Amino acid sequence: MSAGGSCGQTPSRAIPATRRVVLSDGAQLPPGDYSTTPGGTLFSTTPGGTRIIYDRKFLMECRNSPVAKTPPRDLPTIPGVTSPPGDEPATEMNPNHLPNSHEDKPGSHEESQFEMDI
Amino acid sequence: MRPKLRSPDCLKDDDSGDHDQNEENSTQKDGEKEKSERDKSQSSNKRKAVVPGPAEHPLQYNYTFWYSRRTPGRPTSSQSYEQNIKQIGTFASVEQFWRFYSHMVRPGDLTGHSDFHLFKEGIKPMWEDDANKNGGKWIIRLRKGLASRCWENLILAMLGEQFMVGEEICGAVVSVRFQEDIISIWNKTASDQATTARIRDTLRRVLNLPPNTIMEYKTHTDSIKMPGRLGPQRLLFHNLWKTRLNVP
Repeated sequence: MSAGGSCGQTPSRAIPATRRVVLSDGAQLPPGDYSTTPGGTLFSTTPGGTRIIYDRKFLMECRNSPVAKTPPRDLPTIPGVTSPPGDEPATEMNPNHLPNSHEDKPGSHEESQFEMDI
Repeated sequence: MRPKLRSPDCLKDDDSGDHDQNEENSTQKDGEKEKSERDKSQSSNKRKAVVPGPAEHPLQYNYTFWYSRRTPGRPTSSQSYEQNIKQIGTFASVEQFWRFYSHMVRPGDLTGHSDFHLFKEGIKPMWEDDANKNGGKWIIRLRKGLASRCWENLILAMLGEQFMVGEEICGAVVSVRFQEDIISIWNKTASDQATTARIRDTLRRVLNLPPNTIMEYKTHTDSIKMPGRLGPQRLLFHNLWKTRLNVP
């Protein structure tokens, strides 16, 4: 990163406050010297132009904003796949086919995915 | 800033066949003009420019969700493109993504032989697309029960530009099969080893894969030449593509 003004598109920002990230396992370290930090990306821009970067945590938080909860107007009806508004009574879906709801069981996001035997 | 990924020809071929009967009516230039206006509005019905709403968080690229399903008991060759692959919709912001995602079932709850595809707007989830033809994909096979979670992590990383490989990412697929589920991420240049290595390492990080997880890279040209375990999907797309080209 140059100290000069070559990154014209990148607005200047204050240096973020120190953040402590606890690593329990070396595998959580980002590989190589990629422009990422453990626990998420620290800067949301990259040299050579702005790229819009979001970490998982931020994206998950946006899920709860009111606008994110409205189904899109042009969502096609595909039985067993999508659920446009007003479609619920007509199609009898078995419980396994219920769309993702925001009331997802709280545990469902915490379940371990380390049990893969591949 | 956004790369132009779709050639104008690709845009047209989606609509081909729709306007034949109109052509005879418009003999004059004015008629022609009117027709092209109409074409424009027709295709914009299908593909209205999707932009982030006010106060929404824009994404680096627009993306389109697709869904495909193989009808059981029928040879793939007799199936038309429209029957098998459906565009679910296109979004430009984080909030718009959630609007779609929250009203779609999770891949683990799909039945039968089906796939969700999430590709940059303008790239068809097919090997033959210009953006894909020199590309390839990382494949991870998952035992049943993991697909929903892994798919979510995969697409969040893609939408959030976590891969850090410039314009290389094309899209991601989750394939629900009988014994296992498969997730894959497609990139443009299969021969670019620095890119494919970086994608692999990012996948390990964002999916929290155990170090011994087997990851397989497959070029699309190999997929076309050699029937693999993804054979049915391969045939499906190959035949669909041919069907599309035969449209007069």
